[in-house]
Amino acid sequence: MSAQVSLSCDRLERYLGEEEERVHALRGVSLEIETGSVHAVVGPSGCGKSSLLYILGLLDTPDAGSVAIETEAVSHLSDDELAQKRNKFIGFIFQFHFLMEDFTAEENVMIPMRKLGQLSDAQMRDRAAELLDGVGLGDKLRRPSRHLSGGEQQRVAIARALANDPHVILADEPTGNLDTANSERAFELLQNLVHERGKALLLATHNPAIAEACDWVHEMKDGSIIDSQLRNTRS
Amino acid sequence: MTPPLYIALRFLTHRKRALLLSLSGVVFGVAIFICTQAQTQGLSRYFIESNIGSNGALVVRSRFRPRYEPLMVAAKNSKANTGRRLYFEGITNPNEIMRVSRQFPDVISCSPVLRGTVSARAGFENATVDLYGIDPALHAQTTDLLHQLIDGRFDDFRNNTSAIIIGSRLAELLQTSVGDTVQLLAPNGEYWRFSVAAIARAGIGSIDSTRIYSHAKVAQALLQQPSGATMIIYKLRDRNRAPVLASRFETLFQHNALSWQEREESTLQLFLTLRMSVAITVSLIILLAGFGIFNVLTMSVLAKIKEIAILRSMGYRRRDISAIFLWQGALIAAAGSVLGCALGALMTWGVSHIPIRLRGLLYTNYFLVTWDWRHYAFATLLALLAVFIASYVPARRAAELPPVVTIRGSR
Repeated sequence: MSAQVSLSCDRLERYLGEEEERVHALRGVSLEIETGSVHAVVGPSGCGKSSLLYILGLLDTPDAGSVAIETEAVSHLSDDELAQKRNKFIGFIFQFHFLMEDFTAEENVMIPMRKLGQLSDAQMRDRAAELLDGVGLGDKLRRPSRHLSGGEQQRVAIARALANDPHVILADEPTGNLDTANSERAFELLQNLVHERGKALLLATHNPAIAEACDWVHEMKDGSIIDSQLRNTRS
Repeated sequence: MTPPLYIALRFLTHRKRALLLSLSGVVFGVAIFICTQAQTQGLSRYFIESNIGSNGALVVRSRFRPRYEPLMVAAKNSKANTGRRLYFEGITNPNEIMRVSRQFPDVISCSPVLRGTVSARAGFENATVDLYGIDPALHAQTTDLLHQLIDGRFDDFRNNTSAIIIGSRLAELLQTSVGDTVQLLAPNGEYWRFSVAAIARAGIGSIDSTRIYSHAKVAQALLQQPSGATMIIYKLRDRNRAPVLASRFETLFQHNALSWQEREESTLQLFLTLRMSVAITVSLIILLAGFGIFNVLTMSVLAKIKEIAILRSMGYRRRDISAIFLWQGALIAAAGSVLGCALGALMTWGVSHIPIRLRGLLYTNYFLVTWDWRHYAFATLLALLAVFIASYVPARRAAELPPVVTIRGSR
């Protein structure tokens, strides 16, 4: 019996730019990400890794093909409905952290929770503290995000991505801006979360060591997945 | 607190300089608007109060002459010309007109006046004066004459038919004071001697420099007038109903009736023009404040482009992003209006205590201001409108920003 699919796409096509600068960024990409698995997308810059992530994360719309969260197709949904899906089912981690500068670490983690509106203020604070504690920042809750180091900021971003307990985490080169020690620490953190809490993780990376540690590695070239390899299996 | 309001508050409070700039524009715009309106309306209201207090809200004057034009056969090719209405000078049967007009619920009281122009002499000084022959009791009921007395006693005037009340500037001109003698020249060339019982200040230059009040019977004899009154002045419950009542009185009594609005039309228009002019100038200040907010919020959208993208990636909708910037505008407008109203009130109070010596059209020793809640409401409304318009475009622009473009651009 196969594992449950958290996120999938089928024959995605995406063009970027206009006229002479028009690029065929994705060429018929299909992918399935199962619950509890870590997928890496590797390939040279400009091969379409980020484009794939943004479409799977419902931030961008494909020119052709479809995306489904679990079994529900989302291609036909309105902008507001897509935003709601992003808020509830997807957690994003970006290379450059993208924290809200005017907010503390705790407040950054609470921002997606505020939007979801399911917890009280006290409950949100408790959850933010728990998540930040989980990434080793339990003592820096009230620190403004701009006063955190690069590694700490990325860990806040990880905690924030998990704020609404999403089914899928999408990470665009999450360790690209970190030193080796912080890279390993951040990846281990994500890997543990996926395996312990039954999430699905898709990350785009240039780091071969991180790619090797993933369950699946998809190699992309010129907008197509040219190879998919299963590296680790878990019972 | 909604998430957009929460985020808007944080964005605002973390850009203190921009917040201060936007806020000060609204605060000063609102405050200056309130203060200037208080001043211009203060002058206008003082003039109206003083004028109505002296001359009544409504005046019934000369009787209409009957029209015979409808009986006349028009010459060929001549256009029908109704011509100007003609009058018989004075009131015919003033007591009957007053009796009937007192039945109107809008009328509080009325007073007959016999008016004429005479020459006055006191010592070596001469002046042409406007003599008002009045019934002291009725006139005191109908006008503010009692409150206008700055020297002497009204009872001394009421109980003595050879006493007069004299306008304050006329008293200065004739160099007379209470107890002095003033002589008035009758049309037959005789001088009549009066003692000054009191000095009145209406606050309007044209009244204070010409008017003398005497008893009606004495004035009738001095002016050698056959009719007992040349006009009847009215005190009304609602002064704004004066034009309607004037029209009804004209039809009913066949006498010319003039409301205070019609009587002082040119001066009121001058005040209105002044108010409008000041209001337009100050509205421009508020619009400029709005333009400042537009710039600040536009800059804020540009500065927060990364935050907008990240909020969108976390599930915030376009309208949430738009609401964040509209809330910022609304918070600036609300805080700016409250502070502006407080500052406006303070400035108005300050201005009302600035000593000036105005002795022309109006008499005052301080700047005249009026306290009217509508100035505050209108200034607030204007600020809210200007800020909403100023915030709308940046808010919309922020909502339209595609998050992917920003995220790609940050790589």
